[in-house]
Amino acid sequence: MHRRIPAALAAAATLVVAGCGGGDGGAKSPPATDIAGPGTGAGKTLTVWYMNGDLSDAAVAAIDRQFTQETGATVHVQIQQWDDINTKITTALAQNDPPDVIEIGNTDVALFAATGGLSDISGPAKTMAQGQSWLPGLVGPATVGGRLYAAPLFAGERAVVYNKKIWSDAGVTAPPATLAEFTADLDKIKAAHPAPDFSAFYMPGQYWFGGVQFVWDAGGQLATRTGDRWTGALESPQAQQGLRAWKQFQNTYSTVASRNLFNLSPDYNAVFAQGKTSAILNTSVNAVLKIKPSLKGHLGTFPFPGARAGTNQPVFLGGSDLAIAAKSPHQALALAYLKTATSTAAQTGAIAGIDGWTPISAQLIDQTSGSRSDLLKAFSAAAKRSVATPASPGWATIESDKSLQAFFGDISTGKSAIPDAARSFDQHLTQALNAAQ
Amino acid sequence: METLEAAPPVVPPAAAPAPPARRRVALTPYALLAPAAVVLALVIGYPLVRLVLISFQDYGLRALFTGRTRWIGLANYTAVLHGDEIAPMLVRTALLCVAMAAGTLVIGMGAALAMRELGRRMRTFVTFCLIAVWAVPNVAATMLWTWLFQPTYGVVNWLLTHVSGGFGQYDWTAHTPSALLLVWLLVVWQSVPFVALTLYAGLSQIPADYYEAAAIDGAGYLTRFRMVTVPFLRPILLLVTVLSVIWDFNVFNQIRLLTNGGPNEGTTTLVVWSFTRAFAGQSYGQGAAIAVLATALLVALTGYYVRRLVRAGEGL
Amino acid sequence: MTRRVRPGRVALNAGTLVFCAIWLFPVYWMVNTAFKPAGDIVAPTPRFLPFPLTLANFADAVHKPHFASYALNSIIVTGVVVTLSIVVAFLAATALTRFRFFGRRGFLVGILVIQMIPGPALLIPLFLSLKSLDMLDTLLGLMVTYSAFVLPLTIWVLRGFLHGIPVELEEAAMVDGADRLTVIRRILLPLVMPGIIAASVFSFIVAWNDYIYAYVMMKDQSRYTLPVWLASFSTNIGVDYGGLIAGSTLFALPIVVFFMLIQRRLVAGMTAGAVKG
Repeated sequence: MHRRIPAALAAAATLVVAGCGGGDGGAKSPPATDIAGPGTGAGKTLTVWYMNGDLSDAAVAAIDRQFTQETGATVHVQIQQWDDINTKITTALAQNDPPDVIEIGNTDVALFAATGGLSDISGPAKTMAQGQSWLPGLVGPATVGGRLYAAPLFAGERAVVYNKKIWSDAGVTAPPATLAEFTADLDKIKAAHPAPDFSAFYMPGQYWFGGVQFVWDAGGQLATRTGDRWTGALESPQAQQGLRAWKQFQNTYSTVASRNLFNLSPDYNAVFAQGKTSAILNTSVNAVLKIKPSLKGHLGTFPFPGARAGTNQPVFLGGSDLAIAAKSPHQALALAYLKTATSTAAQTGAIAGIDGWTPISAQLIDQTSGSRSDLLKAFSAAAKRSVATPASPGWATIESDKSLQAFFGDISTGKSAIPDAARSFDQHLTQALNAAQ
Repeated sequence: METLEAAPPVVPPAAAPAPPARRRVALTPYALLAPAAVVLALVIGYPLVRLVLISFQDYGLRALFTGRTRWIGLANYTAVLHGDEIAPMLVRTALLCVAMAAGTLVIGMGAALAMRELGRRMRTFVTFCLIAVWAVPNVAATMLWTWLFQPTYGVVNWLLTHVSGGFGQYDWTAHTPSALLLVWLLVVWQSVPFVALTLYAGLSQIPADYYEAAAIDGAGYLTRFRMVTVPFLRPILLLVTVLSVIWDFNVFNQIRLLTNGGPNEGTTTLVVWSFTRAFAGQSYGQGAAIAVLATALLVALTGYYVRRLVRAGEGL
Repeated sequence: MTRRVRPGRVALNAGTLVFCAIWLFPVYWMVNTAFKPAGDIVAPTPRFLPFPLTLANFADAVHKPHFASYALNSIIVTGVVVTLSIVVAFLAATALTRFRFFGRRGFLVGILVIQMIPGPALLIPLFLSLKSLDMLDTLLGLMVTYSAFVLPLTIWVLRGFLHGIPVELEEAAMVDGADRLTVIRRILLPLVMPGIIAASVFSFIVAWNDYIYAYVMMKDQSRYTLPVWLASFSTNIGVDYGGLIAGSTLFALPIVVFFMLIQRRLVAGMTAGAVKG
């Protein structure tokens, strides 16, 4: 019995090795250089993947209509789910007939950009940008070795969402302009609500999107780059100061129970809608309103004030990019699609107009912010000072192994002293960001 | 006790049959086995060989996209084995696996035995409970667990607060022992239905007259259990045991979604580690190496029982 | 068997009820939550009854795009997997229990070892293999994949049950003039029915529940199955917990119905045992 199994395996192995010979050879596709001109796409169909919940159907339809008008080609849209999306994109890009254009979360782009799955669009990108400067938070992660592998689609950033009624009941009637005013306001609210399950500001301890703002505001960074090498930078004095400020803020204004939680479990929108907190840091007010529509009219927003008077905390810039699969046979048409999606018409019409997302360049933000509602203006203001995560394929490791969440959680709970937590996380950052792909 | 002695030969040595027609023996079993063998070879055998090959390659995203790979010998294995994570991980994986399998088997066996004794309506109700639990999709089960044990909002914390006070804010996932308990509870809760229903199906095969004969002989419940139930159930019981150990060793989704291996890797098992290396670290080679090692370890650990299982009831 | 009211019986029933209460509680909580309005789902004081009651979560769930086509795909795939795996496993188990041949034990051990490979590790190799076989993006590929996942267990379970049936029974029937098919249908099938049921529920749940293989192997979104629909309640800006929990309830329902319909057969073996005596 023991002898037979290896024998069987060996037999199977020879079969497989014989089978391995064919196929799989990666035919190198030509670099994407020429954007398809008007009418050249007639009769052709472009497959485009969008992510569930990012752009509305109406916004996608508007972009597609514009693209069809410009090129004559039709668009086949597929909506993908977030769970295991990186595995999904990975396997899709490994096939010989991948989708042509794929929406990828901006922090994940680096993962695929540097590894041969996406087309290099550095050349035509200049034509697309039309002199605008795309937000570094969107194109930074898509830039590897000076080459660009994706065009920006939309941005989203975080601002403070607060319950006007709770604030005015505690005697606070105007949004704060400085950090000192802000903490003073929160102190009043905290004094008015002493219950142990009430947070003046609900900031879950593992909510790293909130945590990095403090690090950046103090002048620190997650990692620095010299040449091709990344080094974790949380041990720097500035970052340490930011982490101390974070812990102080989190521990003072959020419940003890929240110190080791992430924002989605329990859903911080529900915590807010339940009236168990007076403020959260979020990308929009829609989720809160879906849970409790009666809060409409009682919500206010403002950018999170920075430590230096007159500034806002730099925010983590979320959002998505559009990339072209290297193995797509429709490179020129796919470039034309990127050109359409990044055009001023699509950005002001579909992205900002229909969906209320932040458009992809500083110029477009200025152009659209005037027409935004008061509730949304805070997000535009926050976007002006945005920072990108390190543009290394290894960043995907940091996000998917959830070590960044655990890092901020450990600091919030006090499980690790800040210098110790920073030292061990710097090691992890350095290792992951430099890992060969 | 003569009747009891008759029980074991229920599967008499002669059960391995003398084939009716000698000439057909040569091919018939292979023909019967062929469909299963083809499906398994195609969908598991072939990938399994690829898995082993990948474990000797520098296989990341680039290799996947371009199809070009590089052989690196044992580098993946040495990288995995030389980390200081490996020793505590092995201990943790083994202990957690044994604890989960033991819990599942004891509770599952209890439920199966109870079902045999219960009246028809109660039995249907227990069956319903078991199948309802089994039917809950994995994603919902882990989500329910997170909710039930949530600080401030969880029902369990709320109940414990009412019983003993001060539990409302307790965060189960923040401490290794309670995080392990959380995983244990979830896995046992999810695994008991299969074990209980399969064992009950096995119990239902035992002819009632054996019990009646034993009862007439004055055997008590425990004696009957030992002399009739266990020998009769042995093949199924062994099978369920081996399967439980295998599955609990490979528990993955529950840990990933519930604790993500935390706190401080306190709930990271070999399989979670393999996944993290392969998918979060984008090194399919190292992930494959861990998987190969985990499988080898499991084969070694269960070897004895597998041998008994293959022999069980065969009388060979 | 005679039944008397005695303390042991009361204790048994009481213990069973406690067990059922613990095991059923999370399921009850799922169903309870599914009927709650969005604002009540996370509440500091738990609500044990879903009042005020709403069907909005269910409406949200079934109105998600593709619900009907994903459900159809799930039913087709699961139906084929359950049937195919039982038939194939029954043939294999017959070979393994009724014949002695070279490679028999190797096969038995081999399929058990297959179970030991950590699931996630197999994903990429399996993807590459199906790619080479040109079976990606087909429901057939998914059916064959799930069948392979459940076959080892199904074969082992059926083998265990077939072992319990003495060969003399079949031989006697053959002597009486029954052909092989009749023997299988009239004698073997009823006797292994409990095993078939346990194994088919297992297969049903594996095929019905899988997300990652369905998501990765299928490319065109029209070919996804229901677990992908369940995943659609989570987006990057938040999770629709109400829809997800209502969706999960609907998702679990067919399994419960399927099993409750066939569970009576679980006891068929009892009478079978009597035949032998």
